Amino acid sequence: MLPGSRPRTASKPSWARGLARRLTPLTAIVAVFAVQAAAGAGPVLVFPLYLTIILLTALQLTRMEALATAILAATAILIPNLVGGDQPADLAPALLLAVVLMVSAVAITEVVRQGRDVAAEAERRAQSVAASEERLRTMLEAAMVGLALADGDGKWIEVNDRLGMILGRSRDEVMHLNLEEVTAENDRAALAAALVLLRSGDIVRWEGELNQLRADGARVPVAIAITRASGHAGGEPLLLVQETDISARRRVDGLRDCLVAVRHVIVSGSPWEQALPQLLSSICAYLGWELAQFWLVDSGRQGIQVRQSWHREATGYDNFREQSRKAPISMGSGLLGRVWQSGVVAALEDLAVANDYDRSDIASGAGLRSMLAFPLVEGGSVVGVIELLSDHPRVVQDDEVTMLSTAGVEIGQFIRRSDVAQALRRSEADHRAIFERSPIGIVRVGGDGELVEANPALLHMLGHDFESMRESAWPDLLRAYDQAASRQRLAPLLAGIPSASSLQVRAATGAGRWLWLQLTATPIPDPNGRPEHLLVMIEDVTTVRETSDQLAEALDSQRDANANLEKLDRTKTEFLSIVSHEFRTALTGIQGFSELIRDGGLEQDEVRAYGGYIFNDADRINRLIGDMLDLDRMESGRMGMRSGDVDINEVLSEAMARAGTAAATVEFKADLDPRLPIVAGDRDRLIQVVSNLVNNAVKYSPDGGTVTLSTRADGGFALVSVTDTGLGIPPEEIGHVFERFRRVRSGAAQSIPGTGLGLTIVKQIVEMHGGKIWVESAVGHGSAFHFTIPLAVEDATSMQRRHA
Amino acid sequence: MPEAVVPGGSSLFTVLVADDNDVAQRLCKRVLEKAGYSVLIAADGLQAVDVAFSQHPSMILMDVAMPGIDGLEAMRRIKAEMPAMPIVIASAHSMASDRERFLAAGADNVLSKPFRLADLVSIVAKLAQDQKAQNLEKDGL
Repeated sequence: MLPGSRPRTASKPSWARGLARRLTPLTAIVAVFAVQAAAGAGPVLVFPLYLTIILLTALQLTRMEALATAILAATAILIPNLVGGDQPADLAPALLLAVVLMVSAVAITEVVRQGRDVAAEAERRAQSVAASEERLRTMLEAAMVGLALADGDGKWIEVNDRLGMILGRSRDEVMHLNLEEVTAENDRAALAAALVLLRSGDIVRWEGELNQLRADGARVPVAIAITRASGHAGGEPLLLVQETDISARRRVDGLRDCLVAVRHVIVSGSPWEQALPQLLSSICAYLGWELAQFWLVDSGRQGIQVRQSWHREATGYDNFREQSRKAPISMGSGLLGRVWQSGVVAALEDLAVANDYDRSDIASGAGLRSMLAFPLVEGGSVVGVIELLSDHPRVVQDDEVTMLSTAGVEIGQFIRRSDVAQALRRSEADHRAIFERSPIGIVRVGGDGELVEANPALLHMLGHDFESMRESAWPDLLRAYDQAASRQRLAPLLAGIPSASSLQVRAATGAGRWLWLQLTATPIPDPNGRPEHLLVMIEDVTTVRETSDQLAEALDSQRDANANLEKLDRTKTEFLSIVSHEFRTALTGIQGFSELIRDGGLEQDEVRAYGGYIFNDADRINRLIGDMLDLDRMESGRMGMRSGDVDINEVLSEAMARAGTAAATVEFKADLDPRLPIVAGDRDRLIQVVSNLVNNAVKYSPDGGTVTLSTRADGGFALVSVTDTGLGIPPEEIGHVFERFRRVRSGAAQSIPGTGLGLTIVKQIVEMHGGKIWVESAVGHGSAFHFTIPLAVEDATSMQRRHA
Repeated sequence: MPEAVVPGGSSLFTVLVADDNDVAQRLCKRVLEKAGYSVLIAADGLQAVDVAFSQHPSMILMDVAMPGIDGLEAMRRIKAEMPAMPIVIASAHSMASDRERFLAAGADNVLSKPFRLADLVSIVAKLAQDQKAQNLEKDGL
C-alpha cells in the first residue's frame, strides 16, 4: 500500500481501483495523442496538455508511474514528427519539447516527492500528536481524580468525567460553568486570589481544599491542585486543575475528630449537665447535623425527656424544640422509644415519609429532613438518647453508626460517672459539714496512728491548735486509750478494731484542765478491706462522768452508812445479847439461892453462904451497870473530863498501896522515873485506869507472882507500864482484850471475876487523854500493859521556851 | 462424894453439870443432890467431854458460854461418841432464837437461866424416868 493512502472503502476491490487510477493517465495521453494526430496539431500545442497530465499523475500516483507517464507523453510528442514529416526541423522542437517534458516530469516528480515527504512527515507528526492526545484522554478519563484544563480565568477548556462525577454533573454541564461557579460561595475568594497569583506567574502551583457545589446544591469537599502550564506561547496561561473528592476522608476525619472532641469534653470533668451542650455542638459540628437533643431516661425509667438541646443557628427550630420538651416518650414508643429499648442506633433518611417519628409534622414544618438517634449506654442499660436532625436528607453510613455507638457508650459512662461523682461530692460535702460543724470532736487517724485531721470541735474542746494536737495531745490520748483498753482487756486502738468500740479516758486540755473523754473508734477500710484509717469520735463526758462519780460516791457512802447502821445494829444486838447473858448469869445465882433460902429448911451456915453468893452477884450486877454507864458516857462524849496537873508516879504508888493490902500473895515492884514531868489529865480517871490494870494484873497472877509498875518520859508523853508474871494472853485473844466482854476465860483464868468492860473503859480513858494503850503478852510468862499520857505543856517545852 | 439417895428405890442417876460459873455449879449441885441425884462437875467444855467419856453420867446439864470449847461443841463431840447421852443445855443466852438453835444442835432439852429450881428438877426427873423405863424394858426382855 502506498504511504498516505486513505483507508479504502470495502465496496470495491483495492486492486481494481489502483488499476483504474493507473490507467487514467495512460488513457489521457492516448486521448491527447489521438486528438493531436487527428488535428495534426503541433507539439507545442499539446505540450501543456501532456505537462498537465504528468503533473496530475505525479500528484496522484507514484514517482515511477509519473516518470513512466512522462516518457509516454514525450514519446507521444515525438511520434507524429517521426512518422509524419521526417523534417528534422520539426523533429528538433518536438524533441526539445519531449526533453523539456521529461525534465519537467523529473522536476515535478521530485517536487511532488519532496512535497510528499513533507506531507508524510506532517502526517506522521499529526498522527503522533493524535496518539498522544488519545493517551492523555484515556489517562484523563481513567484517572481517579478530576482533571481539567482551564484558562487563566478558570474557564474550562477540557474536563474529565471524574470531575463531572465529583461535581455531580455531566461533562457538558461542567463545561458550561467555570471553576468559580462550581465552588462554594465562601471558598470563592480564596480561589480568586489563587487564580490571580497563578495568572501573574507569581506561583506555578496552588493547592488547597475547597467545597465544590454539586448540581443538587450539596457541597462536596475536594482537595484541589492548580498547576500553571506553559501552554500558549506568551499568551494566556493554561491551568491544569486537579480535584480529589475528599468527602469520604472528610467524613472519616469528621467521625474521628468528633470522637476526639467528645472525649475531650468528657475528660474535662465537668458535671454532665454542663458538658452536654458542648457534646451536642461538637457532634453537630463534626458530623454536619443541624440540631441535637439529649433525652434523659427519668429516674423511674418511665420515660425519656429532653434535657438539653442544641442547634447551629437560632432559626426556626424553636417550635420543634418546644414540642420536644413537652412530649416525654415512653419505652418502645416510636423511633426514639425503640432506640431506648433496644440500645441500637436508628436513623430516618427522610422524615417526610417516616411513619414512626413522633414529631414528623413539626420537624418537616421546621425544615428538618432527616434524623438519627443513638443510645447512651452504661453497664448494659440505656441512660439516655441523643437525637440528631438535619435540614437535608442524609444517608447514614455504617462508620458513622459505629462511631456514634462508641460515643454513646462513652457519653453514657460519663453521665453515670458524673452522677456518681456528684453524689460523692455531695456526700463529701455533707460529711465535711458534719466534720466541721459537729459538736462532737472527730479525728481521722492514719494506719500508723498519725493524726490526719481534727475537727474544730475537738481543737476547741482540748484547747489545742492542730499542730500541738498532732504532736503531743493526740499521742497522749492514744496512749491513754491503749492503757484503758489494756485494763479492760480490749485491743489497742490501732490493732484492728472489729467495729465501733468505746472507751473513756482522762486527758488534759492545753490549759491544764482534766477532762473525761469518751473515744469511739470506727475503722474505715480501704477497698481491700484492710483498715485504711480510723475515725475517732471524742466526746467530753466530764460532766456526765463527774456526776456519775458523785452519784457512785454518794451511793458508796450511803452503802457505808447502811453498813455502819447494820453494823451498829448488829453491835447493839450483840451487846444486848452479851449484857443480858451477863445479867442472867449473875441472876441465876441470885434467883436460885434466894429461892432455896425462901423455901427454908436450910442450915444456918448454908443460909450465910448462899447470902454471900447472892450479895456478890448483886454487887457484880451493880458494877456491870456502872461500867456500862461509864462506857456509854465516854463513847457518846458525855463524860466530863476535868483537866489538871497529875503526878502519874503518885497515882501509881497509891494504886500499888491499895492493891498490896488486898492481895498479899503478889509482890509489887516499882520502877518509877523520878524526873517524870507532870501530865495533863483527869486525876480520878487516871486512877481508874491504873487501878483497873493493877487489879487485872493481880487477878491473873498466881500466888507469888510479881507485878511491876514503871514510868518514864517518852517524847512528849509519860509511858506507864504494868507488867505481871501471870497467865498471859493466848495469841488468838490478844487482839481482842480491849473489846467489851472479852475476858480471857481459858484455863486458870476462867474463874476470875470481872465485868468484861474494864479494859474497854481503860482504853477509852487513855484515848480521851490523847494517849495510846497496847499490850504485850506470852502465855505462861505474863502480860505487860503500856499506856501513854501527854505531858503537861508548860512542864516540857513551854518552860524551856520561856527561858530561851 | 455425897451418898446417893435413890428415890423410889431406883438405880443411881448421875448428872454431869458443866458450867464455868462456880455459883451456878454450887446451885445445881445443891439442888440436884437434894433431889436425890448424883452430881459431877466440869468447869469448861473440854472437861465436860473428858468427864462424859470417863464417868458415863446418866445425863449432862451443859452451859454454853464457857472458855475453851463452848457447850455446843462439847455436846457435838459427846454425841458423836455417845449418841444416846441426854444433854440439857442450860444457858443465859435466852433470846427466842437461842432455844431453837440449841435444839437444832442436838440438845435433848433446854433450860433458860435464871431458872426456877422446880424446872431444873422436873427436867432431870423426866429424863431419869425415861431411862428407868428403858432399863425396865431392857430388863424385862
